[in-house]
Parts: sequence; structure tokens; C-alpha cells
Amino acid sequence: MEEVNNSLSVVADRLRNSEVFFNLADEDLLAIAKFCQEEVYQDGQVIFVEGESAFKLLVVERGKLAIEKKIQLGRHSTPRNATIAYVNPNQVAGFSAIALPHKHSGTITALEPTRVCAVDGVKLRDYLDSHPDVGYKVISAITSLVRGRYQAATNTLTYFLSIVSHELRTPLAAVENYLRTMLGGFAGDINQKQERMLNRCVIRVTDLSALISDVVDLARMRPEQIQADFEWFDPGEVGRESIEDSRLAAAQKNIEIRIQPPKKFEPIVGGRRRMRQVLTNLLNNAIKFSPPDATVYFRALYEEDQLIFEIEDSGPGIPPEDLKYIFTDFFRASNVGDTPGAGLGLSIAKKIMDAHNGNIIVKNLTDDDGNINGSLFSVHIPRNLNTPEMRRNEWTSIESNKD
Amino acid sequence: MQERPSILIVDDDPDILDGILMILESKDYILRTARDGVQCLEQLSEEVPELLILDLLMPRMDGWGVIRKVRSDSRYAKMPIMILTTVIEDASRRRYELETGHSMDIQAYTEKPAKPMELLGQVEKLLQWKK
Repeated sequence: MEEVNNSLSVVADRLRNSEVFFNLADEDLLAIAKFCQEEVYQDGQVIFVEGESAFKLLVVERGKLAIEKKIQLGRHSTPRNATIAYVNPNQVAGFSAIALPHKHSGTITALEPTRVCAVDGVKLRDYLDSHPDVGYKVISAITSLVRGRYQAATNTLTYFLSIVSHELRTPLAAVENYLRTMLGGFAGDINQKQERMLNRCVIRVTDLSALISDVVDLARMRPEQIQADFEWFDPGEVGRESIEDSRLAAAQKNIEIRIQPPKKFEPIVGGRRRMRQVLTNLLNNAIKFSPPDATVYFRALYEEDQLIFEIEDSGPGIPPEDLKYIFTDFFRASNVGDTPGAGLGLSIAKKIMDAHNGNIIVKNLTDDDGNINGSLFSVHIPRNLNTPEMRRNEWTSIESNKD
Repeated sequence: MQERPSILIVDDDPDILDGILMILESKDYILRTARDGVQCLEQLSEEVPELLILDLLMPRMDGWGVIRKVRSDSRYAKMPIMILTTVIEDASRRRYELETGHSMDIQAYTEKPAKPMELLGQVEKLLQWKK
């Protein structure tokens, strides 16, 4: 009996040293120690897998764990794990065991031979339920832990982006610059074969630059950033600019863009440049997936509370099983074949529309026999959005009415 | 007979510099180069070119720093500035405004990589520019 108490107090001490249980009273630590168990993991052993149910909270005693998240670029590539945080002695892994929905938010792997004190999550939850004051302390500690991880993730992203945008673009710009100099004949004559190859090089390098811009853009898509640029604009003008943006691509496949405008374009509030980006992206997709010599329809119509743009193509449509994924980052439908793209255009467009409290809706078009013969994307923009100035004025008038 | 116009090109990337020189050498210009903002200002104090082609992200002194110095010095009032950079235009203008409270007084903004014919066209246009 004596020995059991001794070992319990050793476990209680270990818990006290951890970042989650440090401010609990001795009696609570001893109570929690009763449902703790020592576990040892080998170097490289996977302990928890992202998405699985979480039953245990681990307090590391010795060794080191890595928290990883699965990242898959495109649907055919092998998923990779990116390390987002390390867990060192006295730190905690597996807080999902006491945070709803009790599913692991990352995969945890041992980086070294590691010894942990594993707390039974179900029993811990019960204990915290029946001792709310203890529950409050533990949850506060976990909140600051999560806050720290979130901050670390944001910092990593910002850092990564600044590197990506400049470090990756600069060498590409140099390569493209040389290629164009050669193609322009500024470095002497080139023969036809060389010209063809250089032209291909330019196309591949341009695709790569576009991909980099998309990746950087995607991470910049915070709603408040988009909303800060809201202004009044003429949607007709933006539509014309988008057509201009995609004119070259259309000409190359001899595709006609048939425009069906409303009787009159009324100005609306929104992110002008972002809206052009959405429409250009949808037009380019429609052109990209249409057969040569096809017609792409571009319509705009006003409803009482929204403006709707529609882009209709006669391409292969989207496989029904892929429909719900097409706005996901890096997703590419299973029937895209060799059509180039990174799978970011639609997810960027969706994020822009979300920031407008609007929507993009996609549906497949079918012929009389029910075969898919095209797709229709409709962009819905609410007509009651406010510019930052209008929001400020609204506040001022609310404030002055209070007096 | 007009004198050959002189152009100062500032970029820290030797390959970009090389490529641009090759394009501009097709015309009858006097070409000078500098590898960062400090070198650029040294060269400017020796001789004022008819056009300054300026990168933004550079060591020692960046392009925004050069614009600030040049645009507050009356010796360079008649010299047009063409930005040639990988930095997106609106991000770049916003940064300059935040730092100085003024809008960026430049005569052209080209995102890298420039297409040779467009670059030549821009340069010709800017050489005609009179304040």
C-alpha cells in the first residue's frame, strides 16, 4: 500500500511539472495520477493518427514527439506529413482527448525513444466534469497551449510565403528573361527547332510562375483583407475586363464568348479586382475545358437582392462524385486529363465569394438522354454589401443616436 | 543629331542584368549598371542618366529607398524612373505610401520578367518623357 502511494506521488509530481497540470492542488494531481500509465515508444513509432478518436493525453517525460499534419498536393501524389510542432519533456500531446470532438487533429510520431505518462482521457473528462474548478484550470492551460500552436502555425505560414513569393519568383524571372531574350533574337539567330523548344520552355516556366502566385494568393485570402478593399464598381466593366483577360486563350481554340448582359448594369459594392479574378478564372476554365470551336456563354442578371454572373461551357462537365470537392484547395477533378492547372483557381474563387457573403454554384448540364454535355458556374453577389467607409459611417450614426 | 541617351540599370541579380543589357544593346544607348541602391546613388551623383531602370528588392539599399532619395533631390527632377521587379504593383505602392506618406512618383512599373519588345517600347516612351 505504501509503495502504491509512493508511485502515485511520483506520477503526481510528473503531472505537476507539465504545462497542463502545473497549477492543480496535490489532491487533484493524486486523483488524476490514479488513471495514468507509463508508456514507452520506439524511435519512429506512430502513436496517434490524425482523424482517429482520441483516448489519451500524453505528458512527455523523456524523449521527443513530433506533431504532423497530412498534406496532399493534387489527388495523385503521395500524401506527405509536415511537422507543425515538437513535444518535449513536460509538454503535452493529444489534448484532443479532452477537447471536442475527441478526434486527433494531427499525427503524433516519436522522434526518439520516448517515455510518457499517458492519462486516460475518458476518466480525466469524468474527473474534470465532477470538479469544475479543476476543469477550468486545465482548460485554461490547454487554451494557451493551442493558442501557442496556432501562433506558431501562422508565423510559419507568413515566413514561408515571403520566402516563396520572392525566392521562387526571382530565379524564374531570370530564366524567363533569358528565354525571351533568345526568342526575340537578341542573342543571335535561332533555328526553328530551337525556337519551338524555347517557346515550350516559356510556357512551362509561365505555368510555374502562375502556380507560385496562386499558392501565395491562396494564403492571403483572409476575408477581412478582401473586405477592406470593397468599393462601388460597375460590374459590366469588370465583366468586360475579364473577357479581355481570357480573349487570347479563347482565340487560340477558336472559342466564341457569347455575352448576354442585363438591360442595364447597376453599380454594386465588392472587391473589384477580386471579382475580376473570379470571373476571369471561371471564363478561363470554361475555355480550357471546352472543345475547340465551341461557344462559352457569359451572362449577367439582376435579382432583387443579388447580382448573378453565369458562365456556361460545353466541356465534359464534372464527375458527380467530384462535385462536392471542386472548391477544395489543390483538388483536381478525375477527368481533367492533361489539362494544366494546380487545382487552386476554384478554391481561390470560392474564398473570394465567401468574403462577399456570396456563393459560387456549379451544376452539370445534360442533353435529352441525360448525358453530361457541359457545366454551368453561377456567381452570386449580394447587393447589400458595404464599403469600409459605409461601415464606419454606420457606426458613427449608431454612436451618435445613442447620445 | 541627338546624343545617345544613357540609361542606368539597377538590379542585384546578375542574370537579369545580363538579359536586360542584351535586349537594350540592340539600340544605340549608353548603358550603365549598378548592383544595389547604394551603388545606384553613387553612379547618379557622377552623372544623371536619361532613364533609371530600378529593381526594388536589393541589398544595402532597396529600390523604395532610392526613389525616396532621388525624388527629394532636385538634380534628378527630370529623370524618369522605371521600376522592373517581381513585386506586385499594388503591394509595392502601398508599402511606399505607408513608409513615406507620399504616392510613389515613378513613370512606369513593369513586373518581371518583361517581354523584350514591351521593354524596348517602354524605354523609348520614357526617353521622350519630360517633367
